[in-house]
Amino acid sequence: MFRHLFKMIWNKKKQNSLLIVEILLSFLVIFAVFTFAINSYNNYAKPMGFNYKQVWAISYNHTLETKNSDSVVLVYENLLRNIKSMPQVVDAGYASGNIPFANNHMSTGIDNNGHKVDNVNNFFMDENYINVMGAKMIAGRWYNKADGGSKANIIVINRKLKEELFGNTDAIGRTFGNNDDKNKRKVIGVIDDIKTDGDYQQAPYGLYNRHDTAAYKWMGKILVKVSPGTDAAFEAKLYKLMANTFKNSNIEIEHLDNKLTAYNKITLVPLIILSIVAAFLIINVALGIFGVLWYNINKRRGEIGLRRAIGAPGSSVSGQLVGEALILATLSLIIGAFFAVQFPLLNVFDLPAVVYLGAMLLAVIFIYLLVLVCSLYPGKQAAAIYPAVALHEE
Amino acid sequence: MLKNYFKIAIAVLKRRKFFTFISLFGISFTLTILLVLTAFIDKVVNDNYPDKKRDRSLYINKIELRGKESMNSGPLSYYFLDHYLGKMKTPEKVAISSGFNSTNTYVNNRKVVINYKYTNADFWEVLDYDFIEGKAISRQQVTNGERVTVISEDMKKEYFGDDGASAIGKYIEADNVKYRVCGVVKSLPITSYLLYADIYLPITTYKTKLDADKGYMGNFTAILLAKTPADVAKMKIEYEAIIPKLPVPGKEWDHIYSHADSYLEGYVRSGNEQRSGMTYALTAITLFALFVMLLPTLNLVNVNITRIMERSSEIGVRKAFGASSKTLVYQFIVENLILTFLGGIIGIVLSVVVMYFINSAKFIANLNLSLNFTVLGYAIVTCVFFGLLSGVYPAWRMSKLNIVAALKA
Repeated sequence: MFRHLFKMIWNKKKQNSLLIVEILLSFLVIFAVFTFAINSYNNYAKPMGFNYKQVWAISYNHTLETKNSDSVVLVYENLLRNIKSMPQVVDAGYASGNIPFANNHMSTGIDNNGHKVDNVNNFFMDENYINVMGAKMIAGRWYNKADGGSKANIIVINRKLKEELFGNTDAIGRTFGNNDDKNKRKVIGVIDDIKTDGDYQQAPYGLYNRHDTAAYKWMGKILVKVSPGTDAAFEAKLYKLMANTFKNSNIEIEHLDNKLTAYNKITLVPLIILSIVAAFLIINVALGIFGVLWYNINKRRGEIGLRRAIGAPGSSVSGQLVGEALILATLSLIIGAFFAVQFPLLNVFDLPAVVYLGAMLLAVIFIYLLVLVCSLYPGKQAAAIYPAVALHEE
Repeated sequence: MLKNYFKIAIAVLKRRKFFTFISLFGISFTLTILLVLTAFIDKVVNDNYPDKKRDRSLYINKIELRGKESMNSGPLSYYFLDHYLGKMKTPEKVAISSGFNSTNTYVNNRKVVINYKYTNADFWEVLDYDFIEGKAISRQQVTNGERVTVISEDMKKEYFGDDGASAIGKYIEADNVKYRVCGVVKSLPITSYLLYADIYLPITTYKTKLDADKGYMGNFTAILLAKTPADVAKMKIEYEAIIPKLPVPGKEWDHIYSHADSYLEGYVRSGNEQRSGMTYALTAITLFALFVMLLPTLNLVNVNITRIMERSSEIGVRKAFGASSKTLVYQFIVENLILTFLGGIIGIVLSVVVMYFINSAKFIANLNLSLNFTVLGYAIVTCVFFGLLSGVYPAWRMSKLNIVAALKA
């Protein structure tokens, strides 16, 4: 049966080759869209890792006149105390510019005895960060005030980095760095992953440094957690407080939930555009396949009439036509799968292999359904041909 | 002859309505996507409000320091621009402005986000903003460091309300400083990021001392204006000659790059000297266009072959009466071009509708897509390209048809 169908396809190879290329290209387009969509959905399904609602980010510049480091520290500590003492404020703390949903990334590489990890996000935060963000510790502890005085090189890493560096073993108390590295760092805590790049992006590797007093000058951000229902009137008050402390500075207060919405657009807008374009292409291709199959079947009336005349039931005729179309689709899918499988094998774009395989599976199902739908109606029509009429025409 | 082909084409289109629909659908939607894309690019790149003197201008947006392991790239310092550009002989004027920064202000318990930009006096002479009210910041006001500001129409509406009263002479507060409004200009979309701002302030009111930082990196960009378009090349050479002579600011660096670009080059410069932004942008656009066009074209070829084969008896008769292959190919290409143009007209109508929706949905404020003659020109070229691409192969295959086989069918 299959051999016979293959023969039928082979006899019309010129006409079918174009169809095969068309289905192949549709498969690749669908594969790309599904990959993008599955990857975004996978990331979306993971928890954010912190509570960004009612968290505000204040940006400031260091514009203090004094160069005396003690009085600089005093100003910053006073400011934070004043902010914290406001009734609507739950907690507040200093942070480096790469706060969540900011277009600001500071990355570094880690070399742990030859095990290299690139693109590790380097955060500088103070002891308040964990409370302000409502983030979770998985193991160990976050920094506290006492760590400020100690000279030990301690560090908090996130779950993803811990798994990369230490696998499933316990990370607390372990050190990392090269053998000839003078400042080996000791892990005191593992924090749960925070999706700093929005809902649809993976949480990056994270390295959380405790900032020291010298860092006040360049940190540039204060994260403030306020109680629910806090309005613009309070925001104006907070703004005045900042402006009075840093005269001549540019001050801006942003809300993290608004920033998240803006940030998500960066992922969603391309996905929406891509889906619209792909949908249009697929409708186009589906109509084309439908038209060509329909025409081919009309042209084979004589052959079909003859088969019917010698006793083939209608279902067998339509089955043959649908089968031919599906074999055509299979041929394109084999070629398509060959290309698609290169993505996980060569590790293009650094996505997990599961995403590619899932996308491939979905794309294969999609193409089969598409071809099936496009060939069912022409097949049914062919089955309805009266042998007498068809043979008479011939 | 052509009239005849035209009649035949219309008759054929009417006969198989389903195939005609498939072809027209493919052509018109592909064109719609491409037209909207071109209209967007055209708006972003070619809309020369407010820099109407682009043929005489060069844009300096970035300086890049590069070393073995480190790279630092960004806008330039005021000191650099003032010091080195001031010495240049070719430019007639040098407009210096800061990048836009945002700040908040609170009006009646309402939060307003303000993007502000500092400008020098030449800025208002180099650029031709459309003033709805008042006038530009004067040279005198800049020199005196007066706290005056030119605001955008959108900012006027947001800050002072939409009651139509004049904003001139009123005060606007930004970063705890009150500025007196001296002019209101037509708003820009944020895509013209080099010139966009909500309020424009005199550079002399900049909060830190302008030349305090003697480094190269800072927050400023410049536009060089030549006396005539012919001087632009000379101006470019003069600027590029300055860069190699600059002292390298530290041990970690070994190269300094900075360019005076045309608007387009400056707009897409990727901030990476090794890879030009132009190549990036062009590759991305070409790939997208190919991606959009490839499948419909293939589909059209497929459908066309089917259509033409259906007419094999007609072809057989014509061949039997002595029509050459060339004539037949010619006829089918003409027919296909007619089909493509029909699809093109539908596509243009569709794209106008789509652009109307995009504009009224305000995806990007002040960015109004429109179908201008440039875009239409591209549309026609695309149509012809499309028509030829999808017509030639089927016509060629058809012309190879054996007379006997064709007549028999």
